[in-house]
Amino acid sequence: MTVRAVEQQTALGSRRTHRRASRFRGASINLLYLPALVLFAVFTVYPLISGVALSFTDWDGYSPQRAWVAAENYVRLLTDDTFRSVLGNTFIYGIGSTAIQQVIGLGLALALDRRLRGRNVARAIIYLPVLVSPIVMGTFYYLLFQYDNGALNDLVVALGGQRQAWLSTAAGGITTIVLVNSVQFVGTSMIIYLAGLQAIAPEYTEAAMLDGANAWQRFWSVTLPLLQPAFATSVILNLIGGLKLFDVIQVLTGGGPGTSTSSVSTLIGTTYFANQAAGYSAAMGVALFAIIAVLTVIANAALNRRRLEQQ
Amino acid sequence: MKSRSRSATAALTAGVTALMLSSCAGGASDSGKVTLEFQTAQAADSPLLAVLTEITEQFESENPGVDIDLKTGGNDYESQIKVRLAARNPPDIWATHGWSLLRYGQFLAPLQDEPWAEHFNPALAPVMKNDDGEFFALPVDTAVSGLIVNETVLERAGLSADDITDWDSFLAAAEAVAATGAVPLTLAGSKDGSAGNVVDWLAPGAFDEDQLASFEKGEFDADGYEKILAVLETFRSKGWINPDYSSATGDDMARSLAQDRAAFALSSNVLVTQALSYAPGARLAFVPVPAMNGTESYLIGGENTAFGAARDGDHLDEAKEYLAYLAQPENDAALAQATGSIPGLTNVEADLGVLQPSYEKWVEPGTVPLRPFFDRAYLPNGMWNTVVTTADSVIAGQSSPADSTKKVADDFATLYKEAE
Repeated sequence: MTVRAVEQQTALGSRRTHRRASRFRGASINLLYLPALVLFAVFTVYPLISGVALSFTDWDGYSPQRAWVAAENYVRLLTDDTFRSVLGNTFIYGIGSTAIQQVIGLGLALALDRRLRGRNVARAIIYLPVLVSPIVMGTFYYLLFQYDNGALNDLVVALGGQRQAWLSTAAGGITTIVLVNSVQFVGTSMIIYLAGLQAIAPEYTEAAMLDGANAWQRFWSVTLPLLQPAFATSVILNLIGGLKLFDVIQVLTGGGPGTSTSSVSTLIGTTYFANQAAGYSAAMGVALFAIIAVLTVIANAALNRRRLEQQ
Repeated sequence: MKSRSRSATAALTAGVTALMLSSCAGGASDSGKVTLEFQTAQAADSPLLAVLTEITEQFESENPGVDIDLKTGGNDYESQIKVRLAARNPPDIWATHGWSLLRYGQFLAPLQDEPWAEHFNPALAPVMKNDDGEFFALPVDTAVSGLIVNETVLERAGLSADDITDWDSFLAAAEAVAATGAVPLTLAGSKDGSAGNVVDWLAPGAFDEDQLASFEKGEFDADGYEKILAVLETFRSKGWINPDYSSATGDDMARSLAQDRAAFALSSNVLVTQALSYAPGARLAFVPVPAMNGTESYLIGGENTAFGAARDGDHLDEAKEYLAYLAQPENDAALAQATGSIPGLTNVEADLGVLQPSYEKWVEPGTVPLRPFFDRAYLPNGMWNTVVTTADSVIAGQSSPADSTKKVADDFATLYKEAE
């Protein structure tokens, strides 16, 4: 064997050893992810699978006995008037909150993207409610809207009006819930749109200005199309949040009167615990999961298609 | 560089996970004491919890080896218990709130051999004892309730509690009260469940014995049920229910009685105790519930405050010892007084304060029939929420009595089938 051949073999061996060591190191690094994967499996994957399995049983939610009922719970869902009306409320919460948050969030982002004194303070104040628990936020608004001792009614009376039961009708309750949820999470939309605005290169608007475009034309034809990625992110996040709405409803109206302001999430809770129909409740949960997944995919596809068309 | 970054990310992930897991780890008592967890189902400001806390502190000082961890619970108390039962991790002791036999019996230790068991109030036997004579909770009190009346408000309307003798006189009284500007019937919205109480209180006077028996056979009497909800619609349309109904809580009901703003309430007597905490001089009493169908007026009763011990609890002996301590006459008397109800043990006498004359007049002679809570006796387990939400819809004008009755009938059919 020549010296060169020995050198080549040594180099080859060294590379193999290095590759083996590298592979071993990679494997050991991957091992560090294991605890997180286990947590994900235990707290997300397992509940999802067991929830689906539960939806095919008649379990009451606490006793050791449960029986397989095949698709009975899903058949019941299709004929359940309460579920149908509550699903309608859920779409109102999802779509209503999303629409309001896009309009106000974008408006705030446009306003606070300019060089204004105190804009950082304003941004922080608008975003602050996002950090507050929805239960706390709901309680705050409950104190505002309640009939006796409610701040809003005190104001109405001080102005010579009559006290109003703001939350005693389906329309009043749903409107209030949509507004409270929108106000709380409008900061999220604002931040997403601010990030989107700051990612737009100033050359585009400068070029439009040179072409003689006015402010509205620059916004409509340049800024808005370039905000498509931010728009898609904001819409999908808000839509998912709105469709899953639970806490604010629970605190403000408890889903009442009757079930007229309930969402699917609150109905799942009462069906599981109060009606002791854990199997049926799980079927509702699976249905909600499927609805959110389908809507998200549709919204995402539609928004992406529009973006591609604009490109 | 890339590899270093990947290592750092992985290490960070592992570190955060470890931190999360360590945060999840529970603290263990190193004092060597036995700690009994007791889910009381009482709100932090309830009069019963105050008395229970005092008695528990005495028990702990007499039994230095045992600590009792009194847990408060609000409207979600039942959900908490169900989750604990589903996880096979129930507290050592919990309040059974009317369900010691039918719902929780399989999880609770039988207590009929305890030293205090010979004093078990026989009036509770139909709802708390099984066919083998076993019972599963210490009955702290016996619920005996009627129509709660505010005598001051009635007096302003030119009436007295004695004038409420039948259904027509009740409606006439409500009309007279409304004319004075006071609220005839105080109720709290869906979050409280008081709308369901109306059904429980009025149902025994809406159905005859045969109709009630038909419920037990799985036949729902929709006509009778609709009549009960029609009463709520009448009260709503006439403005006889507090206008803040939807946002009102049980506490608001107590305040309206305490402040002489409402004449009647259909509730357990703990509401009176709560009202007296705001206005000790309030003139409150109860009278038998007038029957809607014109038959004899009646009282509502059954299991009320009762505490059971986990059958498979690690500290069952200590839990039974604690229950025996609560069953001591002076302790049970104090607890029963706090709920405004007669004791659940026959060797105990309680001073029921403002309600004492009502008990002496209506309960002690034993002439007024005592009817069970309708939902517990005649509806399948799990119907309460439907009863509340459907009645709530009618009171809020969101649903007609017929539509709400249909919903109750549907759920009755489903849950009855599941119970079968």
